Amino acid sequence: MPFQNTNVKANRRRLVLVATACLLWISVTSYSVAIAMEQKSSTVVGHEESGKDQAANAGSVHVTLPLQKGSLRFAVIGDSGTGDRDQLQVAGQMEAYRRVTNFDFVIMLGDNIYGNHSPGDFEKKFAEPYKPLLDAGVKFYASLGNHDDPRKEPLYKPFNMGGKRYYSFSKGDTEFFALDSNYMDPKQLDWVGQNLRNSHATWKICFFHHPLYNDGRHHGPDRDLRSQLLPLFQRYGVNVVFSGHEHVYERMKLEDNIDYFVLGNSGKLMKHDFRGPGERVKGFDEDRTFMIVEIAGDKMYFQVISRTGETVDSGTLPRSSTNPDK
Amino acid sequence: MARELAILIALCVLFQVCAVAVARNSEDERAVKDFHDRVVRYVAAHKVQHTAVKPSDSGVKLSRQERQAAREIQQSRAAAKQGDIFTPRISAYFRKQLAATLHGPEGAKIRTSLRSAEPLPNIHLRVNEKYPPDLPLQSTPPTLLLNLPRLPQELEYRIVGQTLVLYEPGPNLIVDLLPNAIPKH
Repeated sequence: MPFQNTNVKANRRRLVLVATACLLWISVTSYSVAIAMEQKSSTVVGHEESGKDQAANAGSVHVTLPLQKGSLRFAVIGDSGTGDRDQLQVAGQMEAYRRVTNFDFVIMLGDNIYGNHSPGDFEKKFAEPYKPLLDAGVKFYASLGNHDDPRKEPLYKPFNMGGKRYYSFSKGDTEFFALDSNYMDPKQLDWVGQNLRNSHATWKICFFHHPLYNDGRHHGPDRDLRSQLLPLFQRYGVNVVFSGHEHVYERMKLEDNIDYFVLGNSGKLMKHDFRGPGERVKGFDEDRTFMIVEIAGDKMYFQVISRTGETVDSGTLPRSSTNPDK
Repeated sequence: MARELAILIALCVLFQVCAVAVARNSEDERAVKDFHDRVVRYVAAHKVQHTAVKPSDSGVKLSRQERQAAREIQQSRAAAKQGDIFTPRISAYFRKQLAATLHGPEGAKIRTSLRSAEPLPNIHLRVNEKYPPDLPLQSTPPTLLLNLPRLPQELEYRIVGQTLVLYEPGPNLIVDLLPNAIPKH
């Protein structure tokens, strides 16, 4: 009997050893495969550390951008300032992606603060949701929407509007033009024309609240605004236009060589808002989103990420406009 | 003889038509000049309040500045009433100009833009009072702005329903109102 016991014990020990070796081999192999796949693909995969801030809930980060050395990277949000849980969740995703992509500024497409504009509203609807980004030194550049306060917001320093309703700023070879589409008076139209004409930037990007094109049911495109702005954009070689107002995400490529994005769902959402196939290349009206843009040379890469971290659109756009009347 | 008489009558009619057109034009010019003078006087009277508002990273400070500027302007215009700037002559000019623009070749586009605006509840605006701070401001179609007299940077034209509002964004005040300015059809 003692002899039999010794044999059983030896067999068990052997079995445990073999099982451990197998588990070790599987772990090492999966790890190597994962590393190989990561190197092969241009996708960067990261994982957020669990922390106290909102980013802790953000989960995995899947970046489709090339993250080239020296490229310009920024984020885009529109119709964000609700102060509710959805805005916070989008802000959490933004922080998670910032840690990997290192975008250093954000353009805001209007409706930055909904409803009242009391001091508490500036905190609840902007400073608190984006605190991790602000603490990391990310700058925000706002444009005005119809729900914004045209007197207070241009003076609110964290919006970097310099006290003006419309303004421009440059980052490397790219010049951004933040316009006030609520009140496009002759003075502003003159300013837009002059500044676009005088700009020597390789990329000219305009952003403002009311979209020139969109397939949404709620508002639709602003045709009168389009009739005044589009001739200037075409004449002076604008490459990309970002707008909000319609609470969806939409990408359009029309015959005028300008790429149009509508992103009005970083806080508000109008579910199932699209009518028919329309003019959009891609649309998303199921959840809130934000966008990260990377500009490297003559290419613009973009990735649109939902509140839950899903990539809903991504791609590369060549710089197509040629500044004909520069 | 009959032929000469006909030419004479035709010339008289032509002169009459030209005289009416010239009179109308000079009437329009007088209305625009009067409007311009009233607006300039308004802005000059509140220069101090306009320059008192400074950039800040504090919402508290911005709210305080706005409240103070609004209070001072409201007190200095305590007797202000509807029609101080949009006098009957100026009102007639604006209504005519807006109707011509909205019935002109760009009219359909402008109306589409106006219709796509955020729906507002029934609000009752009063001169020298604040625009409701929690309500959105409707955007003003650019083609409409191109056909109205230019304003100093302190003031804006805004549309609320059928009413044209002369609005001062700084202190968020209604400077004057022109009801039934936007024709229904």
